[in-house]
Amino acid sequence: MIVRGDEPEQIRLLKKLYRPGNYFMQGNEALAYGAIFAGCRFYAGYPITPSSEIAEMMARELPKLGGYYLQMEDEIGSIAAMVGASWTGFKVMTATAGPGFSLMQENLGYAVMTETPLVLVDVQRSGPSTGQATKGAQGDFFQARWGTHGDHPIVALSPTSGQDAFWETIRAFNIAERLRTPVVMLFDGVLAHTRELVKIPDVEEVEITYRKLPKNEEEAKLPFGDPHGDGVPPMPLFGHGYFTHVTGSTHKENGLRDVYTPEVHDRLVRRLHRKIEKNKDVYEKYEEHFTEDAEILVVSWGVTARPALGAVLKAREEGIKAGLFVPKTVHPFPGERMKQLGKRVRAVLVAEMNLGQMIIEVERYINDDVLLKGINKIGGVPLTVEEILREIRGVA
Amino acid sequence: MQIRLAGIGGQGVVLAGVILGEAAAIEGLNVLQTQDYSSASRGGHSIADVIISKEPIYDVMVTKADVLVALAQLGYDTVKESLKEDGLLIIDTDLVKPDRDYIGAPFTRLAEESTGLSLTVNMVALGYLVAKTGVVKKENVEEAIRRRVPKGTEEINLKAFAAGFEEGSK
Repeated sequence: MIVRGDEPEQIRLLKKLYRPGNYFMQGNEALAYGAIFAGCRFYAGYPITPSSEIAEMMARELPKLGGYYLQMEDEIGSIAAMVGASWTGFKVMTATAGPGFSLMQENLGYAVMTETPLVLVDVQRSGPSTGQATKGAQGDFFQARWGTHGDHPIVALSPTSGQDAFWETIRAFNIAERLRTPVVMLFDGVLAHTRELVKIPDVEEVEITYRKLPKNEEEAKLPFGDPHGDGVPPMPLFGHGYFTHVTGSTHKENGLRDVYTPEVHDRLVRRLHRKIEKNKDVYEKYEEHFTEDAEILVVSWGVTARPALGAVLKAREEGIKAGLFVPKTVHPFPGERMKQLGKRVRAVLVAEMNLGQMIIEVERYINDDVLLKGINKIGGVPLTVEEILREIRGVA
Repeated sequence: MQIRLAGIGGQGVVLAGVILGEAAAIEGLNVLQTQDYSSASRGGHSIADVIISKEPIYDVMVTKADVLVALAQLGYDTVKESLKEDGLLIIDTDLVKPDRDYIGAPFTRLAEESTGLSLTVNMVALGYLVAKTGVVKKENVEEAIRRRVPKGTEEINLKAFAAGFEEGSK
């Protein structure tokens, strides 16, 4: 049923159902294929534009793979069902957009606190509120980071094309499993509905990871401890014969509630942070183009990274020393690298489809003597090569 | 080449764009296809964009269209500004009254005459576009039609495409 322990049959099914090759498909479809190849076999959804094709495809494909698509009554139920399914050992995902992402925030925090691996896709659309339902945006950058309450770490990735969505979704699952944590995928309505050639690889080219399971009874008794020193406790799954208590309230290493003792809360929440901070090598990822000798650095992410690259290439043709920095894992923000790059340039331009969000992170890592400027556009229409090039020329 | 197809919901504009894009993909060209439509299931504007190039494509939208195919006045009015000054305007001559130079044919009427179904207008217009521009090979569009139209409607769609191609080859 689930992929772990069922690899030969799953590989046989994947090979039979999805022939490797180049297909002309939407970003949403590519992302769903990524989830399927990563081993996602449970999807609880409440479709919403512009994410609906992901739910459609998972509803169609998962039953063929022995998986489940569960149509929920709303987004609160969707993420709650995912948390439950994850505790039985499934790799789980749901996809939503702004209004649904807002509704999922409370249980996203619950997943952080209970250390439940899951992948939550937010196909960003133009907000606030219902906004422009069919239009893409990048306005949920900080909602992904701080949408749920309380001190908490979060890992969020943002793919830059349909092909990238396929591989980044696999990476999202691997991070979620490896660190026993929810991972947010910040996709967007533009790429979601853009059709391009996407290469579906052979199953053997895809590397997947599974969460740690307890090696013995002793480990199973401490589902929120740190027996291996990496901050990541093994997960005693439901149905495996253990007695496990899971709660969003502050709990001890054995999972039992203790909402009064300051040290217990301090120890738990600091470990949750340490687990992410210490394991940067598991999730940190960025792309760089022409950063070695760049004088003007464009920083961009998601859908905007692409016209940004086009603009940097054109600027280079014109003799302008421009470079591009694209965080692929946007949270935690790759601040160390940003700091290094910021020391070498005289201007930093941050291009994004919002009124200035990632720029706030960038600002924390560059000195005052560097010119910092946002290239911002809202209204549902993506930034173009020409628009970004104009801004590069403006500071050249 | 940036191609924009514009009409109203129900005319199959998006499907025509997807088929054109798929044909370019079959041909081994770089291609990017997007769409924009109103939330009405029919009657609102419906736009499909296809960018086809031998070079990598960095823009994720049509910035200035080289070709605009307009199947309805509403579609035309919505996006006419995006056509380049020296761009090619192709219209359904019965349904669109443009304010600039154009070529075209009564696509909807041709659809009715060739297949008995006005809803094959999208394939007629696609045939005309391919004949006039040569942006992709005819055979590749035919293959894309077979892959993308609902099962059982392949022949009727191919027939409509052939009618449009013939009209465009005149």
